[in-house]
Amino acid sequence: MTLRFEGLTKRFGSLVAIDAVDLTFEPGKITSIIGPNGAGKSTLINMCAGSYKVTDGRILLDGVELQRLKKHQIAGHGVARTYQNIRLFDGMTVQQNLEVCLFSSYFGRTFAEVFVPGMSRRLKSERAALCRDALARFGLARFADALAADLSYGNQKLLEIARATMLEPKVLMLDEPAAGLNHGETDCLKETLRSLVPADRVVIIVEHDMSLVMTLSDHIFVLHQGRLLFEGTPAQVQANLAVQEAYLGSPGDVDDIRDAARSRANRVRLRADADIERRGLASV
Amino acid sequence: MAIVAAVVAALFHFVPGLPTYYVRVIDTVLIYLLLAIGLNMVVGYAGLLDLGFVAFYAIGAYSYAILASGQFGIHLPFGLILIIGGALAGVAGVLLGIPVLRLRGDYLAIVTLGFGEIVRLLMNNLVWMTNGPQGISRIDQPFLFGFALKTPRDFFLLLLPLVLVALMLAWRLECSILGLGWAAIREDQDAARGIGINTTLVKLLAFGLSATLGGFAGVIFAGFQRFVDPVSFGFWESLTIVLIIVIGGVGNLVGVVVGAAVLIIVPELLREYSEYRMLLYGCALVVMILVRPGGIVGRRYNPAWIIQKLGWR
Repeated sequence: MTLRFEGLTKRFGSLVAIDAVDLTFEPGKITSIIGPNGAGKSTLINMCAGSYKVTDGRILLDGVELQRLKKHQIAGHGVARTYQNIRLFDGMTVQQNLEVCLFSSYFGRTFAEVFVPGMSRRLKSERAALCRDALARFGLARFADALAADLSYGNQKLLEIARATMLEPKVLMLDEPAAGLNHGETDCLKETLRSLVPADRVVIIVEHDMSLVMTLSDHIFVLHQGRLLFEGTPAQVQANLAVQEAYLGSPGDVDDIRDAARSRANRVRLRADADIERRGLASV
Repeated sequence: MAIVAAVVAALFHFVPGLPTYYVRVIDTVLIYLLLAIGLNMVVGYAGLLDLGFVAFYAIGAYSYAILASGQFGIHLPFGLILIIGGALAGVAGVLLGIPVLRLRGDYLAIVTLGFGEIVRLLMNNLVWMTNGPQGISRIDQPFLFGFALKTPRDFFLLLLPLVLVALMLAWRLECSILGLGWAAIREDQDAARGIGINTTLVKLLAFGLSATLGGFAGVIFAGFQRFVDPVSFGFWESLTIVLIIVIGGVGNLVGVVVGAAVLIIVPELLREYSEYRMLLYGCALVVMILVRPGGIVGRRYNPAWIIQKLGWR
């Protein structure tokens, strides 16, 4: 089982965000997509998840052309994602955020759930059991009944990943999972991410935190201006001059790349904090 | 369980003994409660602000008025029209749902508001069918299972069980996977699609189910008044139902019950000052938004809380 992008192209008006890219993702491995801002990393994820319409080319998963499907059907085929800015179901509890992911498998039984006595309780505890595992794995069990909006930033990021894994996806795409996390949280995240890669799952990470990318990835795609600039193992990427130029405009060492990436990650965190503050005020 | 049974039994025993005027007011509360339970599915659960809900109430009411009166000499039984009216309203709900699928927030509110007005204008102008502004009078007296529904008391005995069943089903829906799906759409429609929810289908279900309840309420209203005219289905009617939900507590069935009681009974008590009604509504709304934006009943005090307090799980 592989995920393949064939001649994938996305144009926004006259701007070519992704230009005829061919990529193959292997299951059981963590594949990272890196590149400077505007390289088209998130655009790739958005196309794969069905958030953006594909201009040209194909996205193949097990022979299914995902680009022809609607967004919820793509999810039904086992493609799950997280978002660059966290998008949880804020007004629902942590547990409900996970439970609702079982929608497709339980929707057909809604009539029985509402009208058959005792059925409501049975199905509910069945679903709770399925959530319990994910809650425990991400260390969120004690927040099960808290509103998602009330979680700390780090836990919200974890919950979003937990939600994506609830779909038992064949393709798991994480858009900047470490953005805005501190060192301790990032290390914690690394451990968690390692445990999310069964042999039959493609894991794709878009990330600016180079230390995370270099230690976690099995394979890296470097995008630049909508094209594939380089691909290889973390060591190969670190050694490649073209990659450094793409990031910094001139040759430099990897530490510079790391610094550049980190300062961006910090900016993202500030933005996210401001977001939370704003939301907090709005809800008063 | 015993407490609930006792309360219900007390209501059944006590209310029909009250003077007719009081029973009539309680009937009105129950009809509005039925409407509010329906509208709450769309506004409270799925987060889609529908300002034209009264259209479905009108469709239900006119179903009974047309199918059980001298208007066309058709005299179908009340029970059958209850089903027909509910179904017609449900279909209308889905038909309204289809064009507004892409709309949210303010835009949705404006379009649904327009829909409500369209239905009212149709009732006003399709004179051959609806008698226009004169309305349809001398509607048949409803019979159900061989019993005549004549007095407000009779209607109370029909409405109370109906409302209790509607409340129970709405609560079970809220807790079901469909209810969770609605909530997910309310919170973030795109993310909901991203976890595999067919938002089109789920939203249409919300529109259809809520409209069906509105239709039921309309049929009963027509049987209760035995007269319908377009004036009963104006924009203020829609607004009252929305206010019941907003003032009671959006998405919370306990709040809906409290809201219906407050918004129907208080204006009734202040009947002498009825020209100030809208002013009072406005003030109440402003105060609510400032003091308790979540409605009179807090989110915490939902049916689950009551069930827990009664130790009834």
